[in-house]
Amino acid sequence: MTTTLAGGRAARRQTMRRIRPRRSPATVLLLAVFAGAVGVLWLWWMNTPSIADQNGKILNAGRITGLLAGYLMALVVLQMARVPALERRVGSDRVARWHAMSGRYTLCLVFAHVFLIMWGYALQAGKSLGDIVQQTIDSINQLPDMGKAAIGTGLFVLIGLTSIGPVRRRLPYDAWYHVHLLTYGAVFLTFWHQITTGNDFAVEPTAKTFWYALYGSVTALVIWYRILTPIRLNMRHHMRVEAVIEEAPGIVSVLIGGRKLHRMGAQAGQFFRWRFLAPGMRFSSHPYSLSAAPRPDMLRITVKAIGDHSARLRELTPGTRVWAEGPYGAMTAQRRSRGKVLLVAGGVGITPMRALFETLPGAAGDITLLYRANTTQDLALWDELAAIADDRGARLMYAVNSPDGERPDISAERLRQKLPDIDKHDVFMCGPAGFAQSVYEALRGAGVPARRIHHESFEM
Amino acid sequence: MKKSHPIRRVVLATAATVSGVVLMLSLKPASDPNAQAAGAAPQQTVAGQEAPQGGTSGTGSANGTIDGAVARTQYGNVQVRLTVANGKITKAEAIQAPKGGTSDQKTALSIPKLTQETVAAQSAQIDSVSGATYTSNGYKQSLQSALDKMKASAPAKGSSGGASQGAGSGSSGSGSGASGSGSGSGAAQAETVTGSVAQTEYGPVQVRITVVNGKITKAEAVQAPKGGLSDQKTALAVPRLNKEAVAAGSAQIDSVSGATYTSGGYKQSLQSALDQAGV
Repeated sequence: MTTTLAGGRAARRQTMRRIRPRRSPATVLLLAVFAGAVGVLWLWWMNTPSIADQNGKILNAGRITGLLAGYLMALVVLQMARVPALERRVGSDRVARWHAMSGRYTLCLVFAHVFLIMWGYALQAGKSLGDIVQQTIDSINQLPDMGKAAIGTGLFVLIGLTSIGPVRRRLPYDAWYHVHLLTYGAVFLTFWHQITTGNDFAVEPTAKTFWYALYGSVTALVIWYRILTPIRLNMRHHMRVEAVIEEAPGIVSVLIGGRKLHRMGAQAGQFFRWRFLAPGMRFSSHPYSLSAAPRPDMLRITVKAIGDHSARLRELTPGTRVWAEGPYGAMTAQRRSRGKVLLVAGGVGITPMRALFETLPGAAGDITLLYRANTTQDLALWDELAAIADDRGARLMYAVNSPDGERPDISAERLRQKLPDIDKHDVFMCGPAGFAQSVYEALRGAGVPARRIHHESFEM
Repeated sequence: MKKSHPIRRVVLATAATVSGVVLMLSLKPASDPNAQAAGAAPQQTVAGQEAPQGGTSGTGSANGTIDGAVARTQYGNVQVRLTVANGKITKAEAIQAPKGGTSDQKTALSIPKLTQETVAAQSAQIDSVSGATYTSNGYKQSLQSALDKMKASAPAKGSSGGASQGAGSGSSGSGSGASGSGSGSGAAQAETVTGSVAQTEYGPVQVRITVVNGKITKAEAVQAPKGGLSDQKTALAVPRLNKEAVAAGSAQIDSVSGATYTSGGYKQSLQSALDQAGV
């Protein structure tokens, strides 16, 4: 039992009543994915009574990799279907990392499948591994739907190449993104050969039905959540730029007006993917967090000019149409499991923290914000933060470099000194990767369990 | 925010996948235990049924039909059926061959040549048909397995009927004369008729009957649903259906409960075989 004063305890209880931490469904989903993979392997197992020789082993390895690749391919697309359960409960950043990881793995399976099957067929025809290219050409010419599959695989090669780290960093975001959209075509093209030439689907009508159901439902989810839902959202809310305000050197806020914006269900800590229908900006959308709790007539994002797109934001003229998709992101009040919360912001990472700072339920002294920037001038939105802190009795701290450029000390000891009960806190964190990593280590050192550190990072 | 180890992850994923695939491959037997059980049983009944017939004719010949194992090729399955009289191949046919698209042409082109060659060569040492390499290879593979079965069953007959093996190999020159499906000698005119393939939800069913003097002396399923639960159902239903067909002498037989689809397909194929045989 805690020995808080009666009033404090009552208030705390009041707060805690609203805190119902929702567990991320990640574990359940991963188990389901695994079970599906086992099912696919079982299908192969049941349809393969025996493997006679070396050639049979190669062919069957090709079939296994092919089946797994076909299964995972549907899931890789599903991960990017913007399904709310994934975007808002697992977290967009985590799903994006899953997508990258499973995408790479699936492409490796696809290439292994092509190689093994063609090798096996070459051996079956009495040729050797050296004839694999000729064999591939023959198969493309003679087997049903293999032409399509070959084009699809070619697209996969292109998509894979443009997504390799160094290549991707050198490509403009838009180019990479549009190449990546070809995935839909590639998946469509490679789907048909699975059905027409896949041994297991020919033998087992149930498997064929399941395969159609898998790809059909993924297609339906993509169409629903990536196309229809945004169209409906934007038809209903009709968003336009209201004003662009310079907050700090290189940091601007964009105010966006529209109809009944509170009906979008956005929460503090979430983001939208924004597309501004202005020259040169209409073909790409970018994720920016809300920097204030959504109001019925107004949303605000705050952005630092880092890339092309964010630099152009300051030139937006009021009245520009805005196309938004969202809300996405899982770093909301629902993640919280304790009464006390520490928010840590690095630079422009203040945006979601600012919104949470204002809206997280809590009594006086429950909420603390630590704001790290290079100089005091770079502390964007500081006046607002100070006003909020005053208003709700929250603590506001900042850490900037000393005049001679020395970095402030954010260590486990310093954190514990400033917040003696830091290990009783939930921590929400947003900032550049290096900063987040060092703060994470300091927090762990100060005794905060990993499950209570909530962090969103869009770096792969 | 846990430190990520990309290299370690790649190594782990690769190792897990490769070892998983290798493990699954190595757990599979080199030959199919089910197929042997299912394939051997009809083969034995062939011998069982043929022996009395051979006895009546008194020649002790290894007559009947023998199906090779199904050879899977890139374009589809190939399965060879040999009709054997006096230890010699009198007829070869493909009961399964690649279908669809260009495969139809290739099958039409290659199979007649291959079957002719088989009868002429009396072995699997035959030339592939150019332009249909896969089908040819699959054919030879299935043919070889049929020849193996033929050899395996020959000594058993030899012991009951005399020196059939010697006769078989000695008279190979005059073999091409006897064509037609499964001709017996003497009064009993045995004929094997294969019904059309009946497609069921769980796979194709095809029935072959042996008819002697207008009566079904034997019924067997040359195709039946396979894989998973179907294996059990097939094992359960087909022997019963075979017995019933022989007993009833018609397609008016009871379905095996629990295997309705297979029974339905069986009866359908049986009826078509009966129609062909004119019973």
